[in-house]
Amino acid sequence: MDKSRNISLKNIFLVFLKIGTFAFGGVYSMLTFFEKELVEKHKWITHEEFVESVALGQMTPGPPIINTGICIGYKLRKIKGALVAILGQAFTGTLLAIILAIFYIKTRDNVLLGSILKGVGSAVVGLLLSIIYKMARGTIKDYKAALFAMAAFIALAIFKLNPITIIFIAGFAGFLIFGRKSK
Amino acid sequence: MILLKFCLILIMVNALTIGGGFVMIPLLQKEFVEKYHWLTNQEFLDAIAVGQITPGPLTVMNAFIGYKISGILGSILAMISSYLPSLIITTIVVRNYYTYKESLFVNTSFKGIKPAVVGLLIAVALSLGKSALVDYVTLGIAITSFILIAFTKIDPTFVIIGAGVLGAFFYR
Repeated sequence: MDKSRNISLKNIFLVFLKIGTFAFGGVYSMLTFFEKELVEKHKWITHEEFVESVALGQMTPGPPIINTGICIGYKLRKIKGALVAILGQAFTGTLLAIILAIFYIKTRDNVLLGSILKGVGSAVVGLLLSIIYKMARGTIKDYKAALFAMAAFIALAIFKLNPITIIFIAGFAGFLIFGRKSK
Repeated sequence: MILLKFCLILIMVNALTIGGGFVMIPLLQKEFVEKYHWLTNQEFLDAIAVGQITPGPLTVMNAFIGYKISGILGSILAMISSYLPSLIITTIVVRNYYTYKESLFVNTSFKGIKPAVVGLLIAVALSLGKSALVDYVTLGIAITSFILIAFTKIDPTFVIIGAGVLGAFFYR
């Protein structure tokens, strides 16, 4: 794994730029795109390395897809490869976000844009609900998990605790409750 | 000063959230909307929409928010702050993958954090819903979007764009 793979930083950047530009629609479409480009087409990494990178991306803090890219970039060219992978992946999205922001601020009082955004905002609420639905199906499988979810909800919605504090407490409580059992 | 605070929040939030861009939503909403009032709930929803319709990870919504707070510099710093924790932590973990994967502390604390995040997201969705869903049309769009995204394979990007078109049509 450590024998140097002679892949130039420029090529790493270009492939990740392509992934970051043409993979619309969230994580899953990006993953298929990743696999096609890196494993099948360029053969830079093996399928096993890809799967490992995806798993690792989901276990580390920050956006999983970026972390997967960092992991792959690091395997190819160490820290420089990781950096270039981030740049490539984020470039197009960031540029578009800036363009949209400029447009958004300039036309803020535009009535039509206001109407469009009213629809968009409602759809985002629906999107959040569907994310919650999918996450809940994957994570809330017993009463203990349900209790964690309820406690976090109450802590934020009623007691207005800071979510960062809540995550810390949930992590520590998870360690105390699940850690003792598995030993 | 605002910019520094903004960056520190992003670094902290990205260093603490595991498992997807949406996990950071409750944390960012609390800091940006409720605590510092840099954005309204509606603007925060618009930022999520931008993150969703642009290619790449949801995190690019931070570039949008950064622009609103202090222009291009805000956008660039937002992206650096969002990815810096990932870069540092992930490269360390890559080298110690198996030790990390088997770590009792990491595994068991995730077991607590994952369901807690679901609870946090429900609370935030309710609070954002209160600002966005003001009549039957907006409520209808939200429910339809939920059904389409949760139960069909339609790309959320199209759902959001479609909802924008409906908004323009209903609120002319």
